[in-house]
Amino acid sequence: MRYKSQSVAYWYFAVAMVLFGLQIVFGLLSATKYLGPDPLLYILPFDVTKVIHTNLLVVWVLTGFMGATYWMVPDESRTELHSVKLAYLQLALWVVMGVTAVIGYLFRYGTGNKLLEQPLPHKIVIVVVMLMFLYNVVMTIRKSGRFTTTEGVLLLGVAGAAVLYLPSLLEYDNYVVSIFYRWWTIHLWVEGVWEMIQGGFLAYLLIRLSGADREVMEKWLYVIVGLVFMAGILGTAHHYYWVGVPSYWLPIGGIFSALEPVALVGMAMYAYSAMRRSGLAHPNTLALHWTVGSAVYTLFGAGLLGLAHTWPSVNKWTHGTLITAMHGHAAFYGAYAMIVLAMITYALPAISPARREQGTSLGYWAFWLQLAGMFGMTLSFATAGIGQVYLERIMGLGYLDAQLKIQVHFLMLIGTGTLFAIGVALFIIDFFRYAPRLEVTQDATDPDLQAVPVKPARA
Amino acid sequence: MNKRQSRLFAIACTGIAAVVFLGLTVDSHRQFPTLTNEAQLTPQVIAGKDVWHKYNCVNCHTLFGEGAYYAPDLTKIAKHRGEQYLQAYMRNPAQFYDEQRHRRLMPKQDLSDEEIKNLIDFLGWVSNVDNQGWPPRPILVTGATIPGTDMTASQQAQTSGEQTTTGQVPPGARPLTGNENPIALGERLFRSVTPACNACHSVAQGANMAGPSLAGLTAKASQLVGSPDYKGKAKDPEGYIRESIVDPSAHVVPGAMYSANNMSFMPNTYGQSLKPEQVDQLVAYLSSIK
Repeated sequence: MRYKSQSVAYWYFAVAMVLFGLQIVFGLLSATKYLGPDPLLYILPFDVTKVIHTNLLVVWVLTGFMGATYWMVPDESRTELHSVKLAYLQLALWVVMGVTAVIGYLFRYGTGNKLLEQPLPHKIVIVVVMLMFLYNVVMTIRKSGRFTTTEGVLLLGVAGAAVLYLPSLLEYDNYVVSIFYRWWTIHLWVEGVWEMIQGGFLAYLLIRLSGADREVMEKWLYVIVGLVFMAGILGTAHHYYWVGVPSYWLPIGGIFSALEPVALVGMAMYAYSAMRRSGLAHPNTLALHWTVGSAVYTLFGAGLLGLAHTWPSVNKWTHGTLITAMHGHAAFYGAYAMIVLAMITYALPAISPARREQGTSLGYWAFWLQLAGMFGMTLSFATAGIGQVYLERIMGLGYLDAQLKIQVHFLMLIGTGTLFAIGVALFIIDFFRYAPRLEVTQDATDPDLQAVPVKPARA
Repeated sequence: MNKRQSRLFAIACTGIAAVVFLGLTVDSHRQFPTLTNEAQLTPQVIAGKDVWHKYNCVNCHTLFGEGAYYAPDLTKIAKHRGEQYLQAYMRNPAQFYDEQRHRRLMPKQDLSDEEIKNLIDFLGWVSNVDNQGWPPRPILVTGATIPGTDMTASQQAQTSGEQTTTGQVPPGARPLTGNENPIALGERLFRSVTPACNACHSVAQGANMAGPSLAGLTAKASQLVGSPDYKGKAKDPEGYIRESIVDPSAHVVPGAMYSANNMSFMPNTYGQSLKPEQVDQLVAYLSSIK
């Protein structure tokens, strides 16, 4: 750790880890309900476990984003945070919001608007927290006077996330109109501003881990930003196909969501070329695994699997089936869970110096088990979804009859989900195994700050 | 490309996409009133939407295909199930499905009668939204059918009331001349009218779905018409079948599964939506089931 205030990141990461673990518990619980019968039908029915599963995902990933930002900004701007107190206050408020929301969901206290179930007071707290966060980061950068492109992209992402949450505060009498604006938050977060945040972290990690040239990285980052926004903004149309909007959204959604993978290919190429340029020499190879893994898995889950069912003539048949769950799981995990885990893995050796810089063997087990588990879950949802489309939409079987015939895929889901859960558990154990020593270990006044220990592999 | 140019590229892409997106949003608002029948957005429908949210329905079911994929899509449910059935179902789902057999069951929600009424109004409004003809096939809750696969798209449109471009023929379709045996035409109607008969009735012995099995219908009908319990007007089995189609509540089959408050769960819309010759064809087909 170079700056004292970077220690706030540790507490954000710790909270994120706890929430991640909880999310998986509710995910596994939901998965077993597909097999049925459900002994918890009147205690924890599917709708409750599902709401908690998805809301915890959003909350822990955002907690991770905030922690990672508080880690990265001092490093990039070469200064202490504007206000450490504000950062802790923000975390406390955020945790209270998250915990009370989850307890509320247990009693069905929520609006029932998918993914935006948070009750109004909670939504207001979320906006306040986002603004506190933005203020703290902007003030830190202003104070330092050093503003890098990676920070700029990250900041654009964070500001966008705050602004685009605002449409979710409004209520509409017309259900179709409310769907229309719901996607302004959900889609433009996931396929717009969050990708900015991911891009910012990816660039930071690649520059640090592979010693890639900052000028080249930043140029690429702009190209990716342009492609993400062009395809992402108009790609919102792929959520509008069948919900009661004008028909011109169909071709627009088809064309622009087909373009969305272009940005992701760019991102993966960018990661690969950065490594080639320098030749993998940073000691923290585990963090590099997560970083490159995130770029590759994003290409697979968000890009390829998204493309697999986004064209209107295909989507007409796959829409509203487990095919969507397939894409959703792989995309969220690759793009957002993995980039947060990469940032955590990168920061950990500096937080707890007892830890080996290269990463622990537990850490590698966590990486490969999670990857295998998530790949298996994606395949389970995919095969279940294909079976469902064929039986239900092509053969015309009733919904319940079709679900009974694809039970074997739910067994697969539970099996691979368990594998994934073990990987998550190992990551969490590895995180808490070493006590943090939150003190400055590297001299911040070192003139050669860019010189993180990167040895060129090829001279 | 140097760094300045790539920055310009990013700004231009974002700007153009945002402007186009906002423009289309404004135009969509212009079209929402027609596409969603805003005139029919009564206070009951809006209250029904709040019920939908209050009980978190979307985190099991889907509506317009959006939701949790754990329970059937309800976009067109109001077209497949009558109001009476939906009321009885929402009061106690366990009466209609068995968790051991179907592996999934909707928990009883304890909705008030007013909430149920509003929710049904909401689902009725949803079923009339112009959503580009999705789903491509009726999404049934139970039953095994291949609806309309042997008809041209225009013939399907005639029987289902949905709009399609005329002249389209599904791949592998056998052409229809219109002079087919009425029983065959009736069988086709059985699977393709709106709501489809086979969404609720099977023709297999003992396979009762939302409605009773229609196997051996003629024999059952003649027994019924002759019995003193019968309250309808029909005098013969065929008359009884016709009566059951156009006026399902004229004689209610006993049992909590099929009726409540002397109202049959079967929709009573076939009298208006079918042409008289189509009813004849259906009666011919149903009388032929042994």
